[in-house]
Amino acid sequence: MSYTPPDAEAFIARVAADPCCAAITAQENIGDALASRAPVVFILRGNGLALGQVVRRIHDAGKLVAVHVDLVRGLRADRSSIGWLGHAGVDAVISSHGQLMPAIRHEGMTAILRLLLVRRSQLDTAVAAINRSAPNIVEILPGVILPSVIGMMPPFEVPVLAGGFIRTQADVGAALSAGALGVTTSSQALWGYGAS
Amino acid sequence: MPPEIVPARLPAVLIASDGRHPVYTPPGLDAGVLIRDTDLAALVHRAGSDCPPLAVDIDSVAGLGSDDAAVDFVTSRLGIRVVLARRPQIAARVSDRGHLGLVHVFGYDSTGMARSLESHPRTPGVGSLLSPGLVILHLRPDELVDLPRPIVAYGLIDDVEDARACLELADAIVVRPAIAAKLAAQLEEFVPTGSGRREAIPETS
Repeated sequence: MSYTPPDAEAFIARVAADPCCAAITAQENIGDALASRAPVVFILRGNGLALGQVVRRIHDAGKLVAVHVDLVRGLRADRSSIGWLGHAGVDAVISSHGQLMPAIRHEGMTAILRLLLVRRSQLDTAVAAINRSAPNIVEILPGVILPSVIGMMPPFEVPVLAGGFIRTQADVGAALSAGALGVTTSSQALWGYGAS
Repeated sequence: MPPEIVPARLPAVLIASDGRHPVYTPPGLDAGVLIRDTDLAALVHRAGSDCPPLAVDIDSVAGLGSDDAAVDFVTSRLGIRVVLARRPQIAARVSDRGHLGLVHVFGYDSTGMARSLESHPRTPGVGSLLSPGLVILHLRPDELVDLPRPIVAYGLIDDVEDARACLELADAIVVRPAIAAKLAAQLEEFVPTGSGRREAIPETS
């Protein structure tokens, strides 16, 4: 039976309701992520060619799954790998490559553009990349400094996830207060924190 | 007779400039100029001016390679003693020549930073250029200890209070001229306390 991922609007609503998403970098973290109240599991490492079982387990737990196509092994970040992830039942794909956003959306998945904050002089360029590639969500790293940086950025309309060094409830609160839709964190104690 | 090696401190503040206009360090501020996001001609011009740079971000200079020949050029011909580099072997080459190499350490998330550190040469004379610098305020003590010194916090430090806080943890910070000017204006009350481990770097006199 083929799987149809939720549209981006539904994905965003799910995160907005339960803003602390689980970022996992190892297979052994899956069990804890599934047992948590985190609405979405972000897979940042692992074998991109062997995701089927993991994706099914995550769906069976009533959660959504997002895969970082740039970081998993076995896949090249291009249109073909996006198609592969779509067939694997992935709900959202993360990439730093803006040109992949249309392909991700075309496959019916939620497109998440990962934006690395480096220097103030590059923020305008970064926001231009957001506007050009039209992702459904932007994940900003390191998210822990989002409250300090968001004011330096030109305005943009895309929902923001804060990821990177989010370790405490205070970090979560600060990111959400700065306007983030949610956070991605590998800190298990935060998975599902603030769930409605 | 070889030139005498005189130890010198990495200044607390590196003032970022594209080198196309003169930038002078504010009086009294322990600072030097970092040239970045420029081209080779502008770098050479600024090196020969009355406000030569102390440091260069070698990967951001259009027209300049990122190899041993480029290192030799900026250190020997241009007299630049601090070189920021993405490639660890370039930073190590700078160190081999008796200067200070700073290799980029990307602090976007904990996993990525650990991976970034795997390729750090961890040799004397090669420090860490933590990017973005503002994240230093959020590192755990064990993560901070794991960064080879000297640590230079580079990027998104755009507020005087943040700059001062970063200086409590880093050996140096990179800021825009406007922030450096504000730091200098507060100089009488500005006493960085966390820079006691700032390492000496060799200086050729």
